[in-house]
Amino acid sequence: MIWQIDLSVLTLVVLCAFATIMVKDLLSAAIIFGAYSFLMCLLWTEMGAVDVAFTEASVGAGVSTILFIAITFQTSRTVKKRKKGRYAAKILGLLAAVIMGLVLLAAEAHFPGFGDPGSPASLHLSPYYITHTLADTAVPNAVTSVLADYRGFDTMFETAVIFTAGLAVIAILRRVKQADRCELPEPVTISEGYEDTIIRFVSRQLVPFMQLFALYVVAHGHHSPGGGFQGGVILGASFILLAISYDLNLVTSRMSEKTNIMLGNIGVLIYAGIGVIALLLGANFLDYSILHKILPATGPVMARSHGMLGIEIGVAIAVMAIVIAIYLNLSSHGKLDKGL
Amino acid sequence: MEAIVAEYNYWIYILLMMIGLYAMLAKNNLIKKVIGMSIFQTAIILFYVSISAKREATIPIIAHGHGHDTAHAVVEAAQYANPLPHVLMLTAIVVSVGTLGVALAICLAIHRRYNTLEEDEIQEQLQ
Repeated sequence: MIWQIDLSVLTLVVLCAFATIMVKDLLSAAIIFGAYSFLMCLLWTEMGAVDVAFTEASVGAGVSTILFIAITFQTSRTVKKRKKGRYAAKILGLLAAVIMGLVLLAAEAHFPGFGDPGSPASLHLSPYYITHTLADTAVPNAVTSVLADYRGFDTMFETAVIFTAGLAVIAILRRVKQADRCELPEPVTISEGYEDTIIRFVSRQLVPFMQLFALYVVAHGHHSPGGGFQGGVILGASFILLAISYDLNLVTSRMSEKTNIMLGNIGVLIYAGIGVIALLLGANFLDYSILHKILPATGPVMARSHGMLGIEIGVAIAVMAIVIAIYLNLSSHGKLDKGL
Repeated sequence: MEAIVAEYNYWIYILLMMIGLYAMLAKNNLIKKVIGMSIFQTAIILFYVSISAKREATIPIIAHGHGHDTAHAVVEAAQYANPLPHVLMLTAIVVSVGTLGVALAICLAIHRRYNTLEEDEIQEQLQ
């Protein structure tokens, strides 16, 4: 923790947040928001939250920015000026923000200082995780062991939430031809009829390495920052890169809508299935240590490590499928034939 | 200086939260409101991660933890940042991209029907 970096990055973060809110061009707002996310990622690395930083880099700065750009192209790019005499929302909004800020500032007086090792949040539960993760699970990355083992229920339902979000996007946007009740706008496309050889070549060469790296991130999450969520998002991003540099059909021919929903299902099922296997073997739900009965040549400790790897793979599959599904639907107005 | 360093992270998180709330309430454009929501989310994440930081501590990956014979080495909790808020925030970020997708999908559906994303124009068409 170096406070000079901390202070300067925090100041830049606030500047970026102001700029994102104030700028009139939505495409610029999306790009500045991407920069904001990258600064946040820097900040979290600096505070020692490497896994959070990794997630922010792939999710916040990567996929979120792409989603914002996709929607900017499909709707309108500029923010219109508010009509005269409608300042009530602005004043009330400012008032609410200031009141909330003052309340939080009053509460902040009782917080422990930043970086205080004796702060209550770091005294009760987390020392157990740090001191026992190696002996309990043979996983040195405490974040992974808490995520996938100690708090496995939490993560399972988070995965289910992501799956549900993907289904919700499909339910809102997806229109099949026969069921169109209103005239659908043609999706805006920038890749059609515009074949840039350099961009296509570079993206094509990049995709296998991205996917290999994603698999490494999933598999090596026990020992280094990373895991199922980050790996899954990188896998999804590799397909989004293909969709942008070529066209949607290339992606849908490999990852059709049906495949995506199936893979989302399979991912959540792998997670819940490992829990059920533990249940069938006579232990609690998601208690991986019992898996040593069916895994050859592993003790209860290594079984927990392997169980975590299993559920990380499930998470990665689900997250990849859902990220692709959300992007495909957003960028093509739910038609899945052509898009950004 | 000491006092500023001890409090600065919390001030910034409050400021970011105010910016996010203001954008959600006061901005006319729906995409700007969604951006405000994302800023609000990152402010909360900043708060949690700030709580987890410890002076003189390193990342929460146990050093020399590879291999099987090291499992009984003594580990001091104060040497490592608190992993619990990291876990909660990691999943929160991934869920936030899910909610962002749903929010943008709703924006797109609104644009299909009203052909605009400006709040006042949508209200005029509704009346």
